[in-house]
Amino acid sequence: MAVTHDVPPQLDDLVATAHRIREAIESVIEGKGDVVRLTLTVLLAEGHLLIEDVPGVGKTMLAKALARSIDCPVRRVQFTPDLLPSDITGVSAYNQQTREFEFKPGPVFANIVVGDEINRASPKTQSALLECMEEHQVTVDGTTYRLDAPFMVIATQNPIEMEGTYPLPEAQRDRFTARIAMGYPEPAAELEMLDVHGAASPIDKLAPVATTAEVRALIEAVRAVYVSQAIKKYAIDLVTATRHSPELRLGASPRSTLQLVRAARAHAALSGRDYVIPDDLQALCVPVLAHRLLPSVEAQGQRRLPEQVIADLVRRVPVPEAQAR
Amino acid sequence: MRLPVAAGAATGAVAVALYPLFQTGTWFWASLGAILVVTAVGMLASRYTLPVWPVPLAQLAVFWLYLTAVFAGDTAWARVVPTKESAVELAELVATGFADIQKFAVPVPERPGITLLTCGGVGLIAILVDFCAARLRRSALAGLPLLSLFVVPASFIGDPLSWPTVVIAALGFLGLLAADGRERVTHWGRAVLVRRTPSFVAPRPAAETGTLRLSGKRVGFAAIVLAVLLPSMVPTLEPNPLFGFGVGNGNGRGGNTIGIPNAMVNLRGALSLPANSTVLTYTSSDSASRYLRLYSLDVFDGTEWTMSPPRGRPQDRTSEGPLPPAPGQGAGVPAAQATTRVTVSEEVRRLSFLPLPYPATQVRIEGDWRADVDTLMVFSTTDTAEGGTYEVVSNEPRPTAEALRTAGAAPQAISDKYLRLPEDLPDEIVRLASAVTDPDAGKYEQAIQLQEFFTSKGGFSYTLATQGHGGPALTDFLIRSRAGYCEQFAASMAVLARVLGIPARVSVGYTGGTNISGQWTVRTHDSHAWPELYFEGTGWLRFEPTPAGAAGQGSATVPIYTQPEVTTGGDDTPTANPSTGPTGAGVPSGSASNPRNPMLDRDFGGVPVAVEEGTPTAVKIGLGGVAVLLVVLIPALLRAGVLLRRRRVYSRQALRSGAAGEAGEATATALGSTGIAAVRSNRGQATVAAAWAELDDALCDYGVSRQPSESPRALARRLSEQHEFDAAAAASLARIAEAVERMLFARTLGETGSFREDVRRVRRALASTVSRGRRVRAVLLPPSMLLRIRAMGTRLLDGFDRLENIRFGRPARRNA
Repeated sequence: MAVTHDVPPQLDDLVATAHRIREAIESVIEGKGDVVRLTLTVLLAEGHLLIEDVPGVGKTMLAKALARSIDCPVRRVQFTPDLLPSDITGVSAYNQQTREFEFKPGPVFANIVVGDEINRASPKTQSALLECMEEHQVTVDGTTYRLDAPFMVIATQNPIEMEGTYPLPEAQRDRFTARIAMGYPEPAAELEMLDVHGAASPIDKLAPVATTAEVRALIEAVRAVYVSQAIKKYAIDLVTATRHSPELRLGASPRSTLQLVRAARAHAALSGRDYVIPDDLQALCVPVLAHRLLPSVEAQGQRRLPEQVIADLVRRVPVPEAQAR
Repeated sequence: MRLPVAAGAATGAVAVALYPLFQTGTWFWASLGAILVVTAVGMLASRYTLPVWPVPLAQLAVFWLYLTAVFAGDTAWARVVPTKESAVELAELVATGFADIQKFAVPVPERPGITLLTCGGVGLIAILVDFCAARLRRSALAGLPLLSLFVVPASFIGDPLSWPTVVIAALGFLGLLAADGRERVTHWGRAVLVRRTPSFVAPRPAAETGTLRLSGKRVGFAAIVLAVLLPSMVPTLEPNPLFGFGVGNGNGRGGNTIGIPNAMVNLRGALSLPANSTVLTYTSSDSASRYLRLYSLDVFDGTEWTMSPPRGRPQDRTSEGPLPPAPGQGAGVPAAQATTRVTVSEEVRRLSFLPLPYPATQVRIEGDWRADVDTLMVFSTTDTAEGGTYEVVSNEPRPTAEALRTAGAAPQAISDKYLRLPEDLPDEIVRLASAVTDPDAGKYEQAIQLQEFFTSKGGFSYTLATQGHGGPALTDFLIRSRAGYCEQFAASMAVLARVLGIPARVSVGYTGGTNISGQWTVRTHDSHAWPELYFEGTGWLRFEPTPAGAAGQGSATVPIYTQPEVTTGGDDTPTANPSTGPTGAGVPSGSASNPRNPMLDRDFGGVPVAVEEGTPTAVKIGLGGVAVLLVVLIPALLRAGVLLRRRRVYSRQALRSGAAGEAGEATATALGSTGIAAVRSNRGQATVAAAWAELDDALCDYGVSRQPSESPRALARRLSEQHEFDAAAAASLARIAEAVERMLFARTLGETGSFREDVRRVRRALASTVSRGRRVRAVLLPPSMLLRIRAMGTRLLDGFDRLENIRFGRPARRNA
């Protein structure tokens, strides 16, 4: 054995807990291991997830399964054009008995908030949610209410329907740590889904496999994952590359660098490592960065998606070890 | 501003090539001053952007002032301003300069006239170069005046210019071209960039010109290196002496070869020719006849006399002036100087050795003829003398008997070479030598007695029906038959002289011939061989053992100094007998020689040898091959060294806490736990780094590509999958990759052990994936090392870059 090293005990717990959650979710969503893993990564990175795909591929199911498998308050908001900001944050109502205004918390006061079809709501409502996402707090009538940790918004979005939707502007998309597409399931997975989902929805049988406290501990453990200078520099190199690429009209923001590294920490922890390696960053570059970028006119003309551009950049930017040579 | 400086520097660099022409360095400083003056004017003109045409005129004027100040300062007004007197003085100096050039051979001594001419020439060239490069902006054109300056030494010395000279001159010209290129590129202007966003105004560095410059420089340096190295590898008559600074040292290698004729075979063939055709005619300043020597045979191997390969050094060209001094000929010995003018018949074919009286001091002939420094034979590998005319000045010693009698011992070099006899020389010959001479007599008397033995006392007879002069033939001639012709006589006397301790050699050529109406005519039947004996102080002296006259070699004469009893008489008075021709008409048919062949037809019957002394070509090619092989193998050796060094590092065991105890408790306590951790960490890092570097090089050697964006882990995964490594190799590779990952990205490295087995396994697995040729190449020409060497070259070029970027004076204006 050439190399021996001990994984910190905390990480062992983390890997075990994460494994339990993954198994729980995957019992509901078949054949989407990557998506589940990324969802967990975002949860542990204290980020928010934007799931973008056509209807019926299990976006809401994923969000609900995650919420179910953690024993924590989950609220689901169906966004519609007439939804008001107060419908999300909550309202102050006058209590005639106490003769005082009382705050009625909205659905955002939960650990996991599932925002279905977020692009259907008016920009005003969208921005109300986005403020909560960024600040982890809600301000109503001058009073600020803190949101419990963990706090994660899983928003879904339907890219096909354009009628009567308000697509998220770049600035708001930037708040989401990652965007994923579910994609259609494999035929085998779909067959299994038919077998399992035929009689009853398995999500009803899903029992929580982790507590809020456990998840909080996991997040703490992820924060302790080591990021070397070389890795930080590599992350900056990657992000900088998007800013200089002629195929992109808008590069990634400094916030995205932060979230990339944070997600990489979670990714490393989920792999049982207490340090980040370039592979973590490479694996996360597309989901973390792609939705923040705007392709240039030329790239659009060539039907190049930001995902492809980023994949190319990742192939071009040298890893720290290669730089050292 | 840059161009005038570069032009001046180029002229200076090329002027360095003039160095071998002079004995002293005065000319250089004067010329340097001229260049500086011209350059200064050029710089001023560039600084104030003066119009093109007046600049060279201004330079000429200032240059004139400079010349006046340096060479005619006394007669000038205020030492600088030219006056009529100063102009006259300069003109006189120029005239003496031209006269001196006619008078002196290179390297010339310090003469003000020559210095003025040199300085003036260099200055004019500097003006021309400045005009072409800085005014007309045609730097390549400036190469012409530079080249004309550069060929001056080449045409005078005729010797290959030494390589540093070529390199310096080439660098000078390259510098000029580079400066011009730069100037041009800076005038290209800035590229118009389409910005994606107005805020994004990253200043683009001039990267394009950088790479241009780099590649230009590479081409330039490669050209210089090729120009220097290639000629030294191509065999020529004038081998470029590699690493011999200055004028060629003459010990060059390689060279053309000429056939050294088998002189003796030719001789007898010529003597027995039925047709007695004319070989050459000559007149001499004192109207006397002279033996004309073609070859000097200095080696006796027991079978025959042969010639050791003559050496034609470049500086011993006949066109270079006097020939080398005759060996052993002292100044005190009276000598008769005479000029002989020889016209060679056109019927003679391929005469590559000149028939010359001995000792020749000077030969005037067209072509590349060279003298052998030991024998003064004059020969050529490129030219032949038939149909031509040449003049030779000879300085024949006329020693007195007294001087010869009292001559001292020959120098070691002479006696070593010219007293050598084969081991198996028959005893009878040795006995004969002492029998016919007086053992108590001096060398000179013994020589005379030997000659008398052959001419009169020995009872020898002259016949052409004999052949050979060595081995049994020699014994047969000396002891039994005592009949032969000049070959046997000359060879035998030389052998006997060597036995007696007198340095001796055999000369082959012609007798003085026949005087026909004031002109001496030499025919084929005058072909002759005679011995030459060496006496210290006098040098080589001709003896004549062959009977002369009707019963012998018709035109042979006995030198006067070998007739001590004769006290008066002329020089070698020619007998002027009509040629009797060969007495033995029946030539043995078994002879290898065909008497019908004309004179030099059977040239090249001998062994072809290199003109220059040196190793045979095959050996040279072999040595060159070995040298090339060694050079080629350098990367392989370096690679092996690197591998060994790394293996020592990555084979180290981990410094465990337990093992550390073995290493020394004292160290452990002294360092403390953090100290141990640090030591362990450093050691571990070195181990991992060595293993990784080795793996990296192995990949490179086996031609396995590696993307820069590939992390160690990704690389390990890809290799294992792509090449289907077995489980053990894949695990080893993963172990190395993980250790590297931890070293680079983790907080601590953790425990590492020896990677020896892992690296070995991965290397083997990699090797099995590539072709055999690739494997052989990985060992013999490891690409990893070649890349490193290339990187070193690049760094070297970068160094040159930095040198070039040194700016003089005030910093140049940006974006000017």
